[in-house]
Amino acid sequence: MASQDVETVTTALATEAAPDAKTRRYDRQLRLWAASGQNALESSRILVISGSATSTSILKNLVLPGIGHFTIIDPNQVTPEDAGNNFFLEGPSSIGKSRAEEAVRLLLELNDGVDGKADVRSLEHVLENSKEWLSEFTIVIAHNLEAALLEQLASLLWADESYTPLVVVRSAGFLAEVYIQYHEHAVIESHPETPQSLHIDKAFPSLLEYSTSLDFENMDVTDHGHVPYVVILVRVLEDWKKTHNGSPPLSYEEKQEFKKAIFAMRKKSDEENFDEAVAQAYRAWAKTSVPSDISALFEDEKVRSLSPTSPPFFHLLHALQRFATEQPSHALPLTSALPDMKASTESYIHLQTLYKAHAEEEKAIFKSYLQVPVEDDIVDAFVKNSHALRLQKGKKWGTLDADPASLAAALETAPKALAIHLALTVLSSYVAKQPADVPLSPTAEALTAEALTLLPPGTELPDEFDEALGEVVRAPTADLPNTAALLGGIVAQEVIKMITKQYIPINGSCLIDLIETWTGIL
Amino acid sequence: MASQENGTSASADWPGRYHHIDQVLNTPGPRTDPGFLAGDGVKDFLRNQAKILVIGAGGLGCEILANLALTGFKDIHVIDMDTIDISNLNRQFLFRQKDVGYPKATVAAEFIMKRVPGVKVTPYFGKIQDKDDEYYMQFNLVICGLDSVEARRWMNATLVNLVDPENPDSLKPMIDGGTEGFKGQARVILPTITSCYECSLDMFNKPTAFPICTIANTPRLPEHCIEWASVLEWPRVHGEKKMDTDDPEHIGWLYKIASARAAEFNIEGVTWSLTQGVVKNIIPAIASTNAVIAAACCNEAFKIATSSAAFLDNYFMLIGTDGVYSYTFTHKKRDDCPVCGGEALEMTISPEMTVEELIETLTEKQDIQIKKPSLSTSAPTKQIYLQAPPQLEKATRPNLEKKVKEFVQEGGEITVTASTLPFNLSLRISYSTPA
Repeated sequence: MASQDVETVTTALATEAAPDAKTRRYDRQLRLWAASGQNALESSRILVISGSATSTSILKNLVLPGIGHFTIIDPNQVTPEDAGNNFFLEGPSSIGKSRAEEAVRLLLELNDGVDGKADVRSLEHVLENSKEWLSEFTIVIAHNLEAALLEQLASLLWADESYTPLVVVRSAGFLAEVYIQYHEHAVIESHPETPQSLHIDKAFPSLLEYSTSLDFENMDVTDHGHVPYVVILVRVLEDWKKTHNGSPPLSYEEKQEFKKAIFAMRKKSDEENFDEAVAQAYRAWAKTSVPSDISALFEDEKVRSLSPTSPPFFHLLHALQRFATEQPSHALPLTSALPDMKASTESYIHLQTLYKAHAEEEKAIFKSYLQVPVEDDIVDAFVKNSHALRLQKGKKWGTLDADPASLAAALETAPKALAIHLALTVLSSYVAKQPADVPLSPTAEALTAEALTLLPPGTELPDEFDEALGEVVRAPTADLPNTAALLGGIVAQEVIKMITKQYIPINGSCLIDLIETWTGIL
Repeated sequence: MASQENGTSASADWPGRYHHIDQVLNTPGPRTDPGFLAGDGVKDFLRNQAKILVIGAGGLGCEILANLALTGFKDIHVIDMDTIDISNLNRQFLFRQKDVGYPKATVAAEFIMKRVPGVKVTPYFGKIQDKDDEYYMQFNLVICGLDSVEARRWMNATLVNLVDPENPDSLKPMIDGGTEGFKGQARVILPTITSCYECSLDMFNKPTAFPICTIANTPRLPEHCIEWASVLEWPRVHGEKKMDTDDPEHIGWLYKIASARAAEFNIEGVTWSLTQGVVKNIIPAIASTNAVIAAACCNEAFKIATSSAAFLDNYFMLIGTDGVYSYTFTHKKRDDCPVCGGEALEMTISPEMTVEELIETLTEKQDIQIKKPSLSTSAPTKQIYLQAPPQLEKATRPNLEKKVKEFVQEGGEITVTASTLPFNLSLRISYSTPA
């Protein structure tokens, strides 16, 4: 090394070049969803129904991070009212022009990498003549779509499990709702906040051997203060089990005694690794097993009736079930992610190597259980996140409103959320019954009567309903800039989660009240 | 970037322009305060009289400016000290590739004025600390879209200090937003009346700091190797030359040195992106979260300015990683808040504690978060330790080894100051009785 030029040696080690312009542009989001999420976004095609202020706010937050393509379908011309509340129209100079074309033109200025198209047909026309066109899209978003047309669209997209998910967005004044219609949404990379188990209570052979081979008593003082807490815990637990019929500490007293045993091993009072071991002692008695929400997934119909054509997610689940059942640990596969802990470089890297080697062995076993080939990257991600997998089952839009008993139950359990939902539902039924060119002026009495027809006879509406209803009566057609902007953020965020299959989208409705600045889920 | 001539508000307000907003300004809702004067008066205040200040023209700032302009605020001022970087373009939607290198405040102001007719946006390219009380007094409301704790503390303390009980106009509501990845918060602060930013300081985590001995002697993580390159190797090799974390050559050098260090210790995972992330303390940021938080902030500004609905009391927290989870609550005012509380902070220390140990304790305290504090007593006035100027630092340095007890009696007060804070912190010292 001494004879070589330091620059040459270090350059050879640093293999990456400075990032390109695209990576630099997307740096702050790549740290959230990585290249895999970005690729998914860039391959996506999004259809947005209407060029309202809310619709363009949603699209702004999807064009910026770089979706592949979007289409706005809207047959209308820009009105003076549109020009006043939509940032993606150019004030009075846009009035009279196609709303879709103006919005697409201005949205495209945000990102050269995105393709956009204005479609000036009416949705009625598309649904009558070319409904297969909808299958070109990854996701469809509809803002304040007229009730009957929305029902027609929702039914069409629900007809087959493979059809495009639909995001329903409704708003009036300070109130809003977002619903995602999907049959099923599987997430591998949920980005959990809780890490996987370190398997301290079920130490794998090489870890157990390493831990029991250490001579703590005769160890050099410096080395002693640098043994990683994982190794200490495995050792103390092993010694404990020998004198307790193979059981870990169970009662409160035993747990205290266990901690005392750790302290008793200290050579000096300021050994931080032993402090860490005491703080992390619960890991020695917290049993490593398959979390109940993961084992529940094993019971899914698609796992039980697995066939070679089943989606990879279910093959992976099936393999995971076999692993948990057949492997002696009766746990999920070990992962190599070791948190930082007080240790010398050598002892930490050694421990990390043991974890990596064993995790690789377990992964090989896991892979041997797979009945179809699955890409390595997906297998890696699946194993790494196997404690936090999600499989969400959705419902068709409108299911809740068609079921008086469910509405009544939700009125008890989530009165505020249901009140907003119901207020927006009765508003849209009212709108559907009015002639198109007459200004809307719904009354609270008429809308309340409408709401009661949806509920079981004799239902009493709570105060929350009057509060929500008063707002939709006050501002029945108001697409307020701040409400639009907030919906723009919420909807784009959910769409990004759907497309990237990372993080967890809502399952059902999200209700928003911008008077109290409150959100709730139904 | 030619600025566009703007019409007066009268000629710019075409019929129907405020159709959407007027629906909530013409009629009260069930929860609207009875004092709300629906109709022309409130519209005139919003559109012709209200003057609003936006701090920050970045991720939140761009969104805030657009929302305020569309809502009808016509006299908007914006302060930002930064210039546009390529990594801003994934969310700061008023900026284009051609704007890279130009001041954010100026470019944002021009864009808004071009897009929303009749709105006047006055930019200031510089620091909030450049402006005095008289400047801040001219506004009705302040909205902050900042990424730094320090700037928020300064703004908060300045607005609290501005309050004169004799003059109701001196109370400037401060609306503060912040985001990190899929998470964010928005809050309303009525200086001296509700909980202020300083009251809630213990809610925010301090950035991870790695102990220097780990970096120097026992690296385990790629981050330790990167810190070694930036904290120890850069000054050793480059001497006085300042590291510029925006210079790709500097990041490239750090990446190279960190990679070599990692290879020597068999540590995996040093990448260019991680190197940049660690040395710049990068916080992930996306358009959608900023949109939600900025909208929540502007909605509060709108409600405060118009009384069309009650405003937030006083804290909204959003977590978007697992569904949409939010929590709205009243954060409580702290009586011993150094900015708005009026009472001294009680602190019990060992009678053996030295001045140096007290300084170390203060810098580690989560609810104070103070860097390089100077200490003195007020009655009688006596300097205990001063960080600057150098002559006084030198003169007071011998006190570091002395016990705090030699300067302050039981129940006595110490005044703590720091150059980063626009206020003094009073500590009332009690001594623990030895066991």
